[in-house]
Amino acid sequence: MADSLNFHFTPVDKARPDEENLHAKASTDVTDVIQAIQEQFPEAITEVVVYAGERTIFIAGEVFLEVCTALKEELGFTYLVDLAGVDRFQEEAPRYEVYYCFVNLQKGKRLRIKVRVEEDDAVLPSITGLFKAADWNERECFDMLGIRFEGHPDLRRMFMPEDFEYHPQRKEFPLLGIPGSLPLPPRTPEGELTMDPFAAAHSGSPAKSYQEPAENDEN
Amino acid sequence: MPVKSSFHDQENIFSFWPRHNETILKRLESKDAWLSTRRGTEVSRVKDALEHEMTLNIGPQHPATHGVLRCMVKLDGELIEKCVLDIGYLHRGVEKLAESKTYQEFMPYTDRMDYLAPYANNVAWCMAVEKLANVEIPERAQWIRMIMCELARISSHLLWLGVGLMDAGAVSVFLWTFQGREDLYSIFDEVSGARFTVSHSRIGGLATDLSSKAIDMIRDFAIRYEEVIKGWQKLLNRNRIWIDRNKDVGTVSADEAIALGLTGSNLRGSGVPYDIRTFEPYLKYDEVDFIIPLREEGDCLARYHIRVEEMLESIKIIHQCLDRLPEGPIRADDAKKTYPSKNEVYYSMEGMIHDFMYTETGIAPPEGAAAYHAIESPKGELGFYLESDGTGCPWRARINAPSFTNLQGLESMMEGHPVADIVVLIGSIDPVMGEADK
Repeated sequence: MADSLNFHFTPVDKARPDEENLHAKASTDVTDVIQAIQEQFPEAITEVVVYAGERTIFIAGEVFLEVCTALKEELGFTYLVDLAGVDRFQEEAPRYEVYYCFVNLQKGKRLRIKVRVEEDDAVLPSITGLFKAADWNERECFDMLGIRFEGHPDLRRMFMPEDFEYHPQRKEFPLLGIPGSLPLPPRTPEGELTMDPFAAAHSGSPAKSYQEPAENDEN
Repeated sequence: MPVKSSFHDQENIFSFWPRHNETILKRLESKDAWLSTRRGTEVSRVKDALEHEMTLNIGPQHPATHGVLRCMVKLDGELIEKCVLDIGYLHRGVEKLAESKTYQEFMPYTDRMDYLAPYANNVAWCMAVEKLANVEIPERAQWIRMIMCELARISSHLLWLGVGLMDAGAVSVFLWTFQGREDLYSIFDEVSGARFTVSHSRIGGLATDLSSKAIDMIRDFAIRYEEVIKGWQKLLNRNRIWIDRNKDVGTVSADEAIALGLTGSNLRGSGVPYDIRTFEPYLKYDEVDFIIPLREEGDCLARYHIRVEEMLESIKIIHQCLDRLPEGPIRADDAKKTYPSKNEVYYSMEGMIHDFMYTETGIAPPEGAAAYHAIESPKGELGFYLESDGTGCPWRARINAPSFTNLQGLESMMEGHPVADIVVLIGSIDPVMGEADK
C-alpha cells in the first residue's frame, strides 16, 4: 500500500540488460574473452553487468594484475584507451571502482573491466609496467580520487597543485571547492594575497580558512 | 699589460679628457687583475653551459606551446635528454561539473574542451547520452551531424596547419588558413547562430535545421577548398625547408605508438589503422565512401601528410552527405527524451510543460546504466563514459580526451631531439589544452 502511494516525479527505470540498444556496437561483444578469462582464472570474475551491448567485467583485486597480463599477452588487448576512477559513495563496502577500457586492434574488440577498491586501503597495483599509456591516467585518478597505484614510477598529482590537500572528484568534496584551499589571486587590484602562493617552496603548508576539530576534542 | 697597450694605441680618441682616460685605465687594470686571479683559481672555474647538462623550463605561457603547456627539458648541449610535461593550468574540473548538471545542460561545456572543433565535441557528448538512454536520432539529423563534424575536422586541421607552419617559420600560411577558418565560422554562424562555441547538437537530434543558404555555403566551401588544400599540398609536399624540419623528427614505431596510447592522426601516422569511423561506425559513416589515410614512417612529416589528406577525405564525405541529405525531422519526437519543437512550445500547453520539464529534470537514463561512446574527433578518439543513477544528472561522466593521451606520448617522443624541434613536435601532435586539462 505504502509503495503504491509513493509518487515518483520521474519514474526511475532499472537498467535492463536485454533491452535492444540502437547504438550498440559489434565491437563490444566480448563473450569469448570472458570465457577465456574464466578458464584461466576461475575466481577472477566476480560479476558481469550487461547494458547497451557492453559488458562491464568486475575483476577481483588480487588477480587483477595477472588478468591484465593475460589480456595483453594472450588475448591481444594491447591498446589501453582509458582508465579512470568512479566514486560509488554507497553504503556497500568497496567505495571506489577503477575502470579500464582496452582495445584489441587485430580483432576489433573493446573491453571494459572494473576493479573495486576499499576506502580505507585505496591501493591498486599499477599497470604502467604493462601499458605505458596508463601513466598519466593513473596519476589523474590519484589526483581526483586519491587512489594510490602501487609500482607507479612517478605518482604525482596530474592537474591540481602539489600541495593541494583534497581529492576533488570524491563525492563529498563540495562543487564550489573549499575556500582557502587554493592560493587564488586577490579579487580587487588593491586586495591582498590571501595566502602564500608558494607555501611548499617556502617549506610551509598552505593556510586553512576553516578550523579543523582538535584531535582530543571531548565533545 | 695587453689592456694598457691596446688602450694607448687609441689614445687620441679619448685625448679630449685626460682625467677621464686615467679613470678608465685604472678600472680596466683592476678588472684585468681581478680576472687573471679569478682564472687562476680552480674553484671559480665556470662550466660551459652548452657543454654540460642544464634544465630548461619552457612555458607555460609561450605562443609556440599551443596553450598553457609547460615543458621541463633536461638538455645535454643542445639535445633533449629527458622531457617532463606539466599540465593542469587550464583545469576547470568539467568532469566534476557534469555531475551536477543535467545531460543537456552539460553540452555547452563540451564546446570549451576542444575549442578548435566544438561541433565534434557536442556530437560526441550527445551520442554518448543517446547510447546511455537509448534515444533514436532521425536520419536527417545524423547526416547533418556528419557534415558538421567533418567541417569541424577541417577547421581544426586548418589551425594546426597554419600554426604548425608558423612554428617552422612561415607566417603567411597562418593567414591563409585563418581565411579558411573564417569561412567555416560563417557557416557555423549561419547554421547555429554562433561562430565559435556552437552548442548546436541536442540529445536526440539538433537544435535547428540547415537553411538552404547554409547548404549552399557548405557546398561552396567544399568545392572551393578542395583546390585550396591541394594548393597547400603543392606548396609543402616537396618544400625543402618543410621536409627538413619534419622528416625523421619525433619518430614513433607502431608498437611504441600503441604502448603510449597515441590516438588519431598520431597513431595512424605510425601505421596503425585505428579510426573510430571504421572501427565502430557511428552516425552514417558505414554508408559513405572514404579512406583512412595511413603512413608508416611515424615522424612529423607522416602526421602532416595524414592530416592534409584527411581534410580532402572530409570534403569527399561532405559532398556525399549533401547529396544524400534526406528530408524529415531533425529531432526525435519523444518529450521524455528530447526537447519539443519550438512550434509545440509556443502553441501547446503540453509542449510548454515538456520544455520546462526537460530543462528542469531532463532526460533520465535508467538506474545503473553505464555506457561508453567514442567518436573520431579531429584530435583522435574522443570518448565519454557515463554512469547513471536514474536521475537527470550523470553519476559519473568520464571524458577520454585525445589531447591528454597524445601529450603523454610527447614526453618520450621529444627525447634525443634538439631544442629547436620542440615547437615542431608540439605542433605535430596537435594538442589542445582545454581538452587535455579538462
